[in-house]
Amino acid sequence: MSGAVDKIEVAGFRHFFQSESGPVQATSIIDLRIQAGEFVTLVGPSGCGKTTLLKAIAGFIKPSEGRIFCNGRPVTGPGRDRGVVFQELAILPWRTVRRNIGHGLDIAGTKPAERDRIVARLIDLVGLRGFEDRYPHELSGGMRQRVAVARTWAADPDVILMDEPFAAVDAMTRLTLQEELARLCATTNKTVFFITHGVEEAVFLGDRVLVMTRRPGRIKAEIAVPRRTPGGRDWESFTADPEMQAICEQVLRLVREERGATLVAGDGASVVPAA
Amino acid sequence: MTDTPRTPARARLGRLVWRLLPFSPILIFGAAWSIYWNVAHPPLAVMPSIANVVGAVIELAQSGSLLTDILASLWRLGLGALLGIAMGVAAGFVTGLNKPLATFLNPLLVFFNAISGIVWLPLMIGWVGIGTGLAVFLIWNSVFFIVFQNTVLGVQLVPEVLEQSVRTLGAGRWETIRSVTFPGALPYILNGVRSGLGFGWRALIAAELVGATTGLGQMIFRAADFSRTDIIVAGCLIIGMIAMAMDRWLLLPIERRTVQRWGMVARSEGGRPG
Ligand SMILES: Nc1ncnc2c1ncn2[C@@H]1O[C@H](COP(=O)(O)OP(=O)(O)OP(=O)(O)O)[C@@H](O)[C@H]1O
Ligand SMILES: [Mg+2]
Repeated sequence: MSGAVDKIEVAGFRHFFQSESGPVQATSIIDLRIQAGEFVTLVGPSGCGKTTLLKAIAGFIKPSEGRIFCNGRPVTGPGRDRGVVFQELAILPWRTVRRNIGHGLDIAGTKPAERDRIVARLIDLVGLRGFEDRYPHELSGGMRQRVAVARTWAADPDVILMDEPFAAVDAMTRLTLQEELARLCATTNKTVFFITHGVEEAVFLGDRVLVMTRRPGRIKAEIAVPRRTPGGRDWESFTADPEMQAICEQVLRLVREERGATLVAGDGASVVPAA
Repeated sequence: MTDTPRTPARARLGRLVWRLLPFSPILIFGAAWSIYWNVAHPPLAVMPSIANVVGAVIELAQSGSLLTDILASLWRLGLGALLGIAMGVAAGFVTGLNKPLATFLNPLLVFFNAISGIVWLPLMIGWVGIGTGLAVFLIWNSVFFIVFQNTVLGVQLVPEVLEQSVRTLGAGRWETIRSVTFPGALPYILNGVRSGLGFGWRALIAAELVGATTGLGQMIFRAADFSRTDIIVAGCLIIGMIAMAMDRWLLLPIERRTVQRWGMVARSEGGRPG
């Protein structure tokens, strides 16, 4: 575990938002290390600070306390080494599917022929063939989110930060995308930090599942998921594997505890911090 | 899109009705005018008939003065509006992207907005004299502030997450402005241009009434001296029709190709584009 520099290191991170009624504590102290090639998933109750942590790693939120490193260098802002799939829909309404997905390649100055090849492959991958020249408002919510995922993949970043990317995608497409994501990350050795509300999704995708407490969140548990067949992961063998199902139940229990506590303390967004 | 299948002939008829619909208020207005005129028979110094107005247009057109006046007005309007739009968009971007500057400029804007328009006229006559400069300044003054304010608003309302997403693709500040901020603010900019042109016309006519020797405003002003209401009404109609034509053949096509195509505003016509 030691020796090599961590891809991502979060040390003593804590964040407060300034609001009209004073500072709102979004997270408790968080320490986190992600190694190169690791796929880390994060689950936790709504409003516990997951997006805050992700945006801090992306470089959009300056931590109130603590430091964040990428490849051993302090994060001072966003960069193309850390691609982000945002929780909100973030593709550009004025670009067609093709031009949205190719945007990162255009910025990087990739040759048009090469760019078109990459874009065409990704359009096939996310099942959008035939929609290349449509504008986002002509697509369904799930299709738009697939464009967002493809756009980030096309830019080929070192680290991919994903904030509930498949939440709006239909169940069938989601299964395919999850399998493809697992395969793609295993073969390209990408480092992924993936936020989700789906316990099964977290266990299926993650090498490591982190569970956060309610707001102000901290990481209360970390469950390693053993991989027998790294590349070839599929939902059939996942659901048939008793060990995986046991891990899912364990994670679900940990998440449930927070759900119960949240209900007692009010909503996730309640101003009174539960001690 | 429609639930009942329509025959091509009926669809064509439907499109034709859509095309002509904007003109129906004009037809109703013209009919009401004719009826009133034929009943009341007011003297020409009070109100012309449609025939009088058409006659005036033909008379002015034949003498050649109508074309001269239209071109003079269009030249002033074009120059003032182009300057106003270009400077309004540029200044609006700088201000919209810079919060402290926007806060600093806001009271000044409220101040100048209140005295924009023809209030400047007496001062400006003293400064630049009577002529093209005066009209161009007054038009610029109307167009600039509206385009500026709309651009600032549009730039500020572009969702931050769109800019952030493009920056994670490696975009620098310039690329972010070009590919996100500008198209994102375009609906507001176009809206500003549309209202700006309307106010520009008013400023133009006001400036020409007192500060020009040619132009549609001056044509109306001269006609007033002789109580030629037929020429006055003809002038008003020509101004209105040029403004409508500019909107339909200049602004609408831009909107149709950009913000409407991107689904950022409702289409102005029902159904599919013509
Ligand atoms: N810009 C902001 N200003 C003030 N408070 C904020 C801001 N952004 C987030 N918060 C607060 O910080 C807390 C954490 O927000 P965050 O978006 O990180 O939650 P989350 O875990 O991603 O929730 P969800 O699962 O619903 O997306 C929330 O209680 C929220 O109210
Ligand atoms: Mg979130």
